Order: sequence, then C-alpha cells, then structure tokens
Amino acid sequence: MANYYDGLLRLCGFEDEDIGEERPRIDASFERLGIGPEDMETAESWVSQNHDISLQGVRKLLGAWLKELIDLVLAKDEGKKVVYFGFPSILGPGLMISASSNDVFLSAPDMVLDHTMGHIFNKLTPILEEGEKNGLPPGHALCSLWQAKIGGTVKGMIPVPDLALASSYYCDMGSKADDLVTALYGVPIAYIDGVMDSKWGEFPDYLPERVRYLGGQINQALKMAEKVLDIKIASDAWEKSQQDSQAFINNLLKLLELMKADPVPVSIVELELLEALSGTSTGRGIQEGIKAMEILIQELEERFKASVGATERGAPRVMTWVGHCTDPRVTRLVEDVGLAVPLTLTLSWVAGPTVEPKGNYTTPGEIIANSELAMGMYHGTDGAIKAFETGAKVMKLDGFSMNYLYNCRPDATLSHTTKKYLEEKTGLPVLSLEIDCFDSRTYSAASLRTKVETFAEMLKATKKSAT
Amino acid sequence: MKSLDKLDSHLKTRLRDLSKAKEQGRKVIGYPAGGYLPEELVLACDAIPICFIQAGDNAVLRDAGNYVCRWFDPFWRSQIGYLTSRKDPYYEIVDLIAIPITDNHVRAFSNTAGCYTPEVQSFVFGVPHVKDKLALDYYLQGINRLKKKLEELTGIEITDSRIRRSIELCNRERELFREISIMRKSENFAATSKDFVALNHGSFLADKETMIDILESFIKEFKGSPPLSNNGPRILLTGPTLAQGDSKVMDIIEDTGGVIVMEEFAEGIRPYWGEVKTEGDLMANLAESYFMERVCPGWFRPGTERLDFLVKLARDYSAAGLIWYQLMYRESYKVESYFFPDKLKKETGLPMLVVESEYDAKETGRMKTRIETFMEMLTR
Repeated sequence: MANYYDGLLRLCGFEDEDIGEERPRIDASFERLGIGPEDMETAESWVSQNHDISLQGVRKLLGAWLKELIDLVLAKDEGKKVVYFGFPSILGPGLMISASSNDVFLSAPDMVLDHTMGHIFNKLTPILEEGEKNGLPPGHALCSLWQAKIGGTVKGMIPVPDLALASSYYCDMGSKADDLVTALYGVPIAYIDGVMDSKWGEFPDYLPERVRYLGGQINQALKMAEKVLDIKIASDAWEKSQQDSQAFINNLLKLLELMKADPVPVSIVELELLEALSGTSTGRGIQEGIKAMEILIQELEERFKASVGATERGAPRVMTWVGHCTDPRVTRLVEDVGLAVPLTLTLSWVAGPTVEPKGNYTTPGEIIANSELAMGMYHGTDGAIKAFETGAKVMKLDGFSMNYLYNCRPDATLSHTTKKYLEEKTGLPVLSLEIDCFDSRTYSAASLRTKVETFAEMLKATKKSAT
Repeated sequence: MKSLDKLDSHLKTRLRDLSKAKEQGRKVIGYPAGGYLPEELVLACDAIPICFIQAGDNAVLRDAGNYVCRWFDPFWRSQIGYLTSRKDPYYEIVDLIAIPITDNHVRAFSNTAGCYTPEVQSFVFGVPHVKDKLALDYYLQGINRLKKKLEELTGIEITDSRIRRSIELCNRERELFREISIMRKSENFAATSKDFVALNHGSFLADKETMIDILESFIKEFKGSPPLSNNGPRILLTGPTLAQGDSKVMDIIEDTGGVIVMEEFAEGIRPYWGEVKTEGDLMANLAESYFMERVCPGWFRPGTERLDFLVKLARDYSAAGLIWYQLMYRESYKVESYFFPDKLKKETGLPMLVVESEYDAKETGRMKTRIETFMEMLTR
C-alpha cells in the first residue's frame, strides 16, 4: 500500500522493495520526527531543486542518509545500545566498537539530523531553537551542530545515548557539551583527550609522546566502552574496520581522478553528502554510501567521457574547505557564480602530501593516533593547511574559497592564517569566508553572495587575461 | 597601604630593571596567563618570568582583528593584539615566549605567534584536559622539554638544588597568598578584593623576592587594621579570566554595595591553594602540583572539580551570591554557566548571576543594571 512519503523516498534512491520492507520503521521514525504528509511537497521540491537527482548515485546517497536517520531514531526501540561521538571525529574507536558488536548503534546524530531534517526536509530550525533554549543560547558563537544534537534529544527525536565518546582532542565545545548532556540526562562519557600543541610549522613532524598520549586515551575509552556497553572489543576489530574503510578510500582516490577533469563532473553539494557520511556513520549509512559512491563514480565516468560537468568548461577552479551540512543553497553558491570546485577538505586528504606514520606502535589506540597525527587535521593548524597547498598543484587550482566556521574555534583559527599561508606559498588568491555550515539562518547564501561573486569575477578576469 | 604603594613603585621601574638585568646577561621568559607554566623552572636558571596578563582595552581587540576573527575570547585576542602591535612593552622585552597550550583560544595565540611573529622565539607544550596518569605523564614530558629549552637558552643547568630553591621561594609566595585568602573569610578583614587582585597581578610581573617582601608587609599591615565599613552582600566572583586592566566588573560590584570575598579565575589569579613538595623527584612534584593538585579550569572535562570547588568556596567564605564573569566566546565556561546554577542552588541555596564582557564600554550600563538588581535581590 502506497504511503505519502513514497514519492520522496523514490527521489532519494529507495527501491519500492526497500520501502515495502522498511515501511513500519519509516512510519515509526517519521512520526517521532514530526514528519507528515504536509511536509512532502516542500521536501520533494527542495531535493529536486538543490540536488542533481539525474544522478542515481546522488539519489542513493540521500537514501543512505535517510536510512541512517531511521536507524538512529529507532535504535533504542530496537534494543540497541546507543553511542554518540562528536563531529569531526577520529573515527577509529567508533569503527572498532561497531565492528565488535551488532547490538550497538554508533553515530554522529547531529550530522544525521543536519543532512536529513536540513538537507532533505528543510525543517532543522525548530531543532536548533530547542538546542538554543537548552543550554546553548544564540549570540555566543556556540556550535550549531551541538544545538541540533541537544535540540533533537530534548525534542525526543533521537534517543538519549548510553555512552558519549567525547572528541576532547580537537574542540573544547564538544566535550563541554557532552558534560551538558550528562548534566541533563546522566549519560556517561568516555573522553578521548589529546592536545593540539604542535608548534607552527612543525608538521609533518610530531613527538612520539603525542601518539602515546592520544593512543592511550583511545585505549582507555575502548575499555570504558566495553564496560558501559557490556561488549568485548574483538581482537581483530581494528583490522576489520580498516578493511571496511578501505573501500571508501579507494573510491575517494577514483573520485579525485575524476575531479581533475575540466569541466568538473559533479557539484560539491553532492560530494558533501558523501564526505560527511564517511565521518558520521559506522553502520548502514556508510555501507549504503559506499555503494552509492560506486554508482556515482560510474555515472561520473560517463559524464567525463561526454565532457559534461557541473560547471562550464574553463571555469576558474577553487578549493572549498567544506560544504554546507544543512542548506545546499549555500554550498551551491560558489558554483552559481561560475566557479568550479574540484577540491574539498576530504579530497585534500588523498590529494595532499602522503605523510607516513612514524614509529612502531602496537596498541590499537596508538596505531590510530599515529595515523591521525600523520594526516594533519588533528596535528595542528598548519598540518591541515599544508594538505591544501599540495592539493592546489594536483588539482590545478586558480584560487581558494576557504569557508571557516565562525562558531568552531579549531576551524576559526584558520580565518587569517590560511589566507596568509596559502597566498604566500601558492601565489593564488584566497577568499576567507565566514560561515556557519550547520545553520544558514544568519550566514545564508544571499548574505554571502556579494563576496563570492566579486571573488569569482576577479578570478575569471585573471584567467581570461592569462589566456 | 604602604605595601601596595611599594608594589606600585616596584612595577613602575620594572621594565627598566628588566632591561638592566638583560644587559647583565639574564634572560626574560614571557608566558601567557593560565597557571600552567612552573615559574620555578624559569627562576632555577636565573631567568625572569613575566606573565602576560594585560587586557581590557577594546582598541587592542581591533588590532587583533588583523590576525584572527572576532570569535575568540577577548582576553586571548588582546594577547594577539599586544603581541602584534607591541603595545604591551612586556612583549617587547622577552627573550622567549613559553606557551602552555590549554584550549583553542590559547592555540589561536600560539598560531599567531608562530605565523605572524616568527622573529619572537616561542616554545609550546600541551596541557591535557583530563586528569589521569596518562595526562600527568604528558604534562611532565612537556615541562621536561621546557626545562631543556630553558637550559639551552640560558646556558645554565637546572639542577635539583636550583629547582628546590626556587620551589621554596614560590611556595612561600603561595603560602602568603593563602594566608591572605584565609584572612578574607573574616567579616573584619580590612583589605578589598581589588587589593588582593592587585597583589595577584603584581606577582605576575614583580621580582619574586620583592613580591614576597610586599606580601609579608601586606599581612602585617592589615592584621591590625580596622575593618572596612561595607556590610553589603558577600560575593564570590568567578570566570575564565580576570585581567590586569579589566576592573569593570569589580568596580560595579563595589559601587553597588557588594563585597567580593573571593575570586576564582583560571587566568589572572595565581593558583595558590597548593604547594610543591621539595623532597623526591622535583620535576614530578612540579607536575603533580601544577597539573593534578590544582583545581582545574572550566575547559577541563569534566569540569566538576572546579564546580565542586566553587560550592566549597561559597560555603567557606559565607557568600550571599555568586557572580559568573563570562568573557564572550569562551565556550567551555558558557556551557557550564547554564547548568551550574542548579547545582549551586541545590547545594548552597545561593543565587548566581552571569554577566558577559567583550571589553566594550557599551556593555557597562547593562552590566551595572544587572548587578544592581542582583544586589537588591540579595539585600532584600
């Protein structure tokens, strides 16, 4: 029997068979989320207008997010133990827990709400407002991702977790907001602490004690997870989680090759769906996402052969740090003004310099920590920026449109240093753009347009004069 | 107030004295506020520690705007402003800036130092945000690297006997601050919060032995003095930072009849409740005292130790209310300020008021109205 949401779900890559099988779960989760027939018209037009739904891979990606949402909302009802981690996050510990038990649901719920209630239903604002009323008021540059998490919890949309894995190695806000959840609901927290105490210019070097400290903290968190969740972390959990992640990395490398094309074959709006999923889900969402990625790559190969792209051939090529997680219009803005975006933060990890982890470590925590420090992002500010420098050459960029999150302190440290560093090292112009990529109420596409437009005109003029 | 006059005179010539010391080959080591740099190590290699605690001038924030966006704590943006504009002469005189990285606000300062002022030598080490054995070891490794750096810079080996002497000196200073703090429990104590804060701020800049002399004189002077006439509500003042030059909140509390009986701040008030042991492994003792025994700041996770300490202070000092002085965008404190009032109310019955600042003159009127109302409520 058809239901009001069938059309939207088909638009989001669900097969009729999927819908039939999932129907009771879809009904239950949509009811809890306050999604009803009255939302469908808006959602369908929002998705159609803002996503390239001519690509089956994109539709499947949207579907992967919806499946992650359904699993999240119903996790407790279905007897799962629920674990939340912050975003961005060192994913290793979460993947290990996930690989060790089928009875644990582990995710970054705020990202799920953003990509579904925002990206698909355009209904995030009431959730953010609830977060603002419950400890994270507006006007203080507090994290809007966390406002969504608190808001979603207070509204009863997402379950209260059994354990929080706090990413105490990156932002101060996340761990403190985990304390807020504890104050509100008594949730135990496994803090994974680290200190981003690298000296400017130190990357790619790092001290072994940093690996030992962060690694030791990860090991402690895994022990706490075993105790709180009453599970045993499997001895091969790390290897298993790595095998699962490898498919994503391999696909990312293929995608990187495709993004070198002119015209760039796909919009950053769609890439964002993919990249964010890899840092959010440890379960069905990412598994479905990898399948969607494979379909998308095939479709992009066809586009490449036919010289079809998301922007015009010859458009100036810029890097954008991250796409918008709730409002695709903000992400699309860069392309709307005629810039192509072949490089993002996630792609820069595979396009950037390959820094081999140093030293020999044997515990899972230390192995994870060593690998993360070599990647740069959790090493320090200059570690992140250096990947962009290399990426610029690989992707033949004409400039950088670097959007930093005003309300994310680790990200906001990039506001001026990135521009200075990249302009000096690459000679390319850098637009440092202040945004909130988890909430477009203040930093809307309209408010940002003038800046981006001017930057685009300048790049186009430079490119034209060079040819 | 002879002792405070003496401190004032000492600080007036401090920069000149530091220049002379440098001419004689001594090094000046600057460090940002936060209480995680053991001054003992600096003193042990005959160098001079100077803590950067100046802030409160909104114009300096505009200078900082050329290097970092505005969404950082104004105290740390002030440090960025002073570092880059050279408007604080203490930044000009240091040979090395040693930066204990605590949270991302400090990291913004450290990044600026590295990226924009590479000519100023800096050294960083990390302060973990949890208290456990791993974290203690990490902090100890950091201060051991600092020790090595200081030895290289000064050419003086930091021996155990040198560390012990400097620990004894710093312990004496902490002991005197504790003694004054304990005296402040009494309703008859003659000195004001501003006096105590002035001593604290002075101690970050003054010669250590001179400071001890001043603190000893202060205690003698005030032991026999008649009590102050103000019988207004006793206020516990807390927040992330109480900088030198940022007296607005203290002024308003005093002007509206309140008496600040205790200040709890991570930056701008020296941790003085504990002391460092002088037996055994001295580096380990420093780490134990500076990292583990010290009540943690609000950016530690969880922050319960500090919140419990505030409850204790409120009781010990017979406070009538707590004022939480929130610097804008210091997110860890902001989040705690939401759930702490319930705990405070439950455990002490006391009310709490949050006032916010970005070192802006425009905020004064609103702050005054809020504090005035709070005082009226307390005196009713």
